Amino acid sequence: MESKGYRWSRRAVGFVALLLVAATVVLGLWITPPDIVQGQLVRLIYVHPPVAWVAYLAYGVTSIGSVLYLWKRTRNLKWDLLAASSAEVGVIFTGLTLITGSIWGRPAWGVWWTWDARLTTTALLFVLYLGYLALRRVPADSHQRAVRSAIAGLIAFIDVPIVHQSVVWWRTLHQSATVLNATLSPKIHGEMAMTLLLGFIAFTFVYVWMLMHRYQIADMEQSVLDIELEQLIEERQREPESYSDQAVLTQDVDQIDQPSKV
Amino acid sequence: MDGSGSGGEASNLPRVAAKLKARTLPSKRKARRAWAVVAIVVASIGFLLYKGLGNSLVYFRTAAGAWNDRAQLGTSTFRLEGVVVPGSIHTTSGGVDFAVESSNVSVEVHDTANPPQLFQPNIPVVLVGHFSGSIFQSTQIMVKHSSNYIAAHPNRVATVNGKKL
Repeated sequence: MESKGYRWSRRAVGFVALLLVAATVVLGLWITPPDIVQGQLVRLIYVHPPVAWVAYLAYGVTSIGSVLYLWKRTRNLKWDLLAASSAEVGVIFTGLTLITGSIWGRPAWGVWWTWDARLTTTALLFVLYLGYLALRRVPADSHQRAVRSAIAGLIAFIDVPIVHQSVVWWRTLHQSATVLNATLSPKIHGEMAMTLLLGFIAFTFVYVWMLMHRYQIADMEQSVLDIELEQLIEERQREPESYSDQAVLTQDVDQIDQPSKV
Repeated sequence: MDGSGSGGEASNLPRVAAKLKARTLPSKRKARRAWAVVAIVVASIGFLLYKGLGNSLVYFRTAAGAWNDRAQLGTSTFRLEGVVVPGSIHTTSGGVDFAVESSNVSVEVHDTANPPQLFQPNIPVVLVGHFSGSIFQSTQIMVKHSSNYIAAHPNRVATVNGKKL
């Protein structure tokens, strides 16, 4: 069950996230100046790079959770649940990255979408982690699911540095990194830079809040599964003869499958 | 087990079997569905890799590179990148004429599409089209803006005692 401390810390994180997002909205829409080239379009910078960063962060957490599960000394199902929860939040933020990028791209570039390396590898990242989540839905026991998911999660993570470096390694329509560039020198003016930084912090808090919620749900789902399993075992123990005669049982199941003959 | 002999257990069997069926068959169906989703995702990954390898790795040719290779390129459609030369933009009835430059090589462009709102002198653009003689016939202009963000009115903030805030 959820502890009081966990509930309060989650609420506190949510409250801080709300305040920071509100501050980012106010600064981003009303206080910061327009850009000399992009004009008002620049305001999307306070959302688009932060949500992309959160997607990277989420997949990083998924990878850490996966490694901790695969490593026998730290193996615990909670790492698997953390990895899965973070991947789910990461997929939402990758989707937001693609949507906000597209909204920004139409007026700035002139197209909603183009097959350049940055956009293609980001779409690939989205699909890879959708695949990770789909793989988790394939019925299996908890350990088997955790192992195969951890391996899939680590393979998918290979795409994260490729996405980030795509604008450096290949010719792209997408511009190079403004903040996380090779020299780590932000190429953005003062109050715009501060608001962008605030956006990064705000969306990181949103991520932490969402992760805490999702992890809690995943933990509860696991508890329900455990209870169901216990009930099933108890049921079997109560009716041992009914289950032991497999031939009769199979026959009965077959009879249920067949339409009744008059 | 004799069904007629132990009446209570025998009557239990269909119920237990039905329970088992309810638990196992949906699970099998669920597994099939889940594997189908995984297969769709794998196919999507394959499609993205195909598109990525086909289009992304050489997304555009620079104006200088394309100009040097124009005999080889012929009339094939490709993407060309360059910076819009100031003073070269002329709106015509059929579109817009301008020149793009890279590495001191200038290429004349005739465009038949609507330029995006950020299209302006000195901005890098990626054009989709083909060479027709020495002129690049463009059907699409995409603006490739830089990663620098500069305030449009850096001096708009009020001053106090002659000093900028």
